[in-house]
Amino acid sequence: MTVYQAPREWTRVHPVSPFLGSGPVVGFLAIYGISRLTPNWVFGGEEEYGPLNEVPFPLIILGGLLIIGAVIGFGVLAWRRNEYRIGDDAMYHRKGIVFRQHRQARLDRIEAVDVVQPLLARIFGLAKLDVQVAGGGNSGVDLSYLRLGEAEALRNEMLALVARAKSTPDAVVTPDADLASGVVTEEERPAAASGPAWAVTIAEHNPQTAVPAAPERVVVKVPLSRLLLSLALSSATVVLGVTVIGTAIAAIIVGSVVAKAFAAAVGTSLFAGLAFFAGLFSFFWNQLNAGFNFTASTSSDGLRLSHGLLETRRQTVTPGRVQAVLIRQTWLWRYKGLYRITMNVAGYQDAEQQKATTLLPVGTLDDVLRVMELVLPEADAEALTRAIVGRGGEDGFTPSPASARLFDPLQWKHRGVRAGEQALFIRSGWLTRDVAVVPHARTQSLGVKQGPLQRLRHLASFAVHSTQGQVRPIAKNMELDDALELLDQQSERARTFRTKVARG
Amino acid sequence: MTWYEPHADWTFADRRLIYTRCIVLWIFMVFVMVDFLVFSFVFSREFIIGTFVALALGLWFTWLIWRNVTAHAWAEREDDLIVKRGRMFRSVTVVPYGRMQYVEVTAGPLARAFGIATIQLHTASPGTDATLSGVRAEDAETLRDRITARGEATLAGL
Repeated sequence: MTVYQAPREWTRVHPVSPFLGSGPVVGFLAIYGISRLTPNWVFGGEEEYGPLNEVPFPLIILGGLLIIGAVIGFGVLAWRRNEYRIGDDAMYHRKGIVFRQHRQARLDRIEAVDVVQPLLARIFGLAKLDVQVAGGGNSGVDLSYLRLGEAEALRNEMLALVARAKSTPDAVVTPDADLASGVVTEEERPAAASGPAWAVTIAEHNPQTAVPAAPERVVVKVPLSRLLLSLALSSATVVLGVTVIGTAIAAIIVGSVVAKAFAAAVGTSLFAGLAFFAGLFSFFWNQLNAGFNFTASTSSDGLRLSHGLLETRRQTVTPGRVQAVLIRQTWLWRYKGLYRITMNVAGYQDAEQQKATTLLPVGTLDDVLRVMELVLPEADAEALTRAIVGRGGEDGFTPSPASARLFDPLQWKHRGVRAGEQALFIRSGWLTRDVAVVPHARTQSLGVKQGPLQRLRHLASFAVHSTQGQVRPIAKNMELDDALELLDQQSERARTFRTKVARG
Repeated sequence: MTWYEPHADWTFADRRLIYTRCIVLWIFMVFVMVDFLVFSFVFSREFIIGTFVALALGLWFTWLIWRNVTAHAWAEREDDLIVKRGRMFRSVTVVPYGRMQYVEVTAGPLARAFGIATIQLHTASPGTDATLSGVRAEDAETLRDRITARGEATLAGL
């Protein structure tokens, strides 16, 4: 069994890489060629007018081959120029034929490292390494594709270097002393890559790396039954149910004339209907695909998340890099006591937000508390529970005043803000209840805004500016004096925590 | 408390910002007014109303610009910079020096002609709206350097 090691010299990515990407192009050409050619070629007589029909058949074949050749040639060239290596303080990546791109991800700036395996790559035992770096824009490094072992070796080595390079004063975990030694025997070797049994047979699934992954402790696993329950209790199910039942009732009750008219309407809007159902299906599918086999664990090099049905993703968010979280409970989930947690981690681009920033796809209050312990290690579970379960001005929260009722009729009773020991809690929402949590040490900047209507009612909105992500912590319609007082207090708290973190 | 008034050394935006904004506004408004004037001669006399509407709008906007610019101010405190802006839609932003990623100074041709510049403070958050408009050009460089130096002294990363 090979022991994989991260390369110190420039190394090319896996030779198959360009073709995993260009597969669709070749496939499209093949399908286009077959569909265009078969009638003329096999049956001869069918006359179809198209630009390609004028061209003799061998020329088309030649053209197709040329295009495929060009794709392959381009792929090979791109592959030859797509190289990476690891150094003591950064990871380097260079690629590009005409426009050369040379990137380095400084290890002390790494926010998260993801090993992603899309289905096709997974079949071939390949993986993509996604490195998120603080620095806005598209500044991360994205290596696709490496062998799974290479990707894991690179990840482990990077994280080990990160851990060595920076003492982590605000580490989210304090590993047991014996685990931190880094010497792990084969039996103890964590099954970071453990998945369902059938997945192991597809490709080499547990490659051995020179630097072992730091041992991890599983915090939460989401069972499939609960994931399915959460999907059944989603708003999409409600929409689906209402549509189906509504149609059925309309068909039964309404007389034949109206039914015919209705059928005609349905007939004409069949396409819209299909799109509607496709949308619902893709919602369910995405949730299932992303939440399948979800495991959150903790290790000395950060928070580990592993999930995915067809595309698997194993994330490591380095300690103290969770900028903000949002604990959300939708209307139907309330009856089963389920919650969902999303987070802000700097570096993830928009396209990845949905897939990569879920901290817990669905879980009970107990799960939420255990996951929150990773984000806010010293938080008081009791206070946290009350912050999540309560509403409005309960448990020491500052509520929105009744003067907000006029233009915030649904939510004003549910709004509340409280500054805890470690973090600021902002809750809101009427049907869907949200609690945004921003650690004081992660506050970027603060703001208070007031529009003309709010001014009439002596209200203002208080915002904590967090890094880009799904969590936008804003406490709307607070009493103006409360908001301004909070602004002063919060900037003071943020300052205290900032200096504490900086000094260690 | 009516609005945020901490004891700080507020620097107000330079009045010349009013001129640059008004010039841009009136170039547009004069175009519109001339258009309507021409229309009133060519098509129908009623179009002259448009000229007066544009004039009235222009005057109103001028007043808004004046109100807006005179409300815009910032204060450098020990650890953070406070920016306040607006009268109708008011906002206060507190940006800690330690969170600053970079500082940007820009000045368009019109602003240069009037000797003012814009300083924008960037943190890791896209929500940070910390733009100082109407900074005197001679102060802009020193202000930027001062902010950057303070940022480096208290840098906290993310």
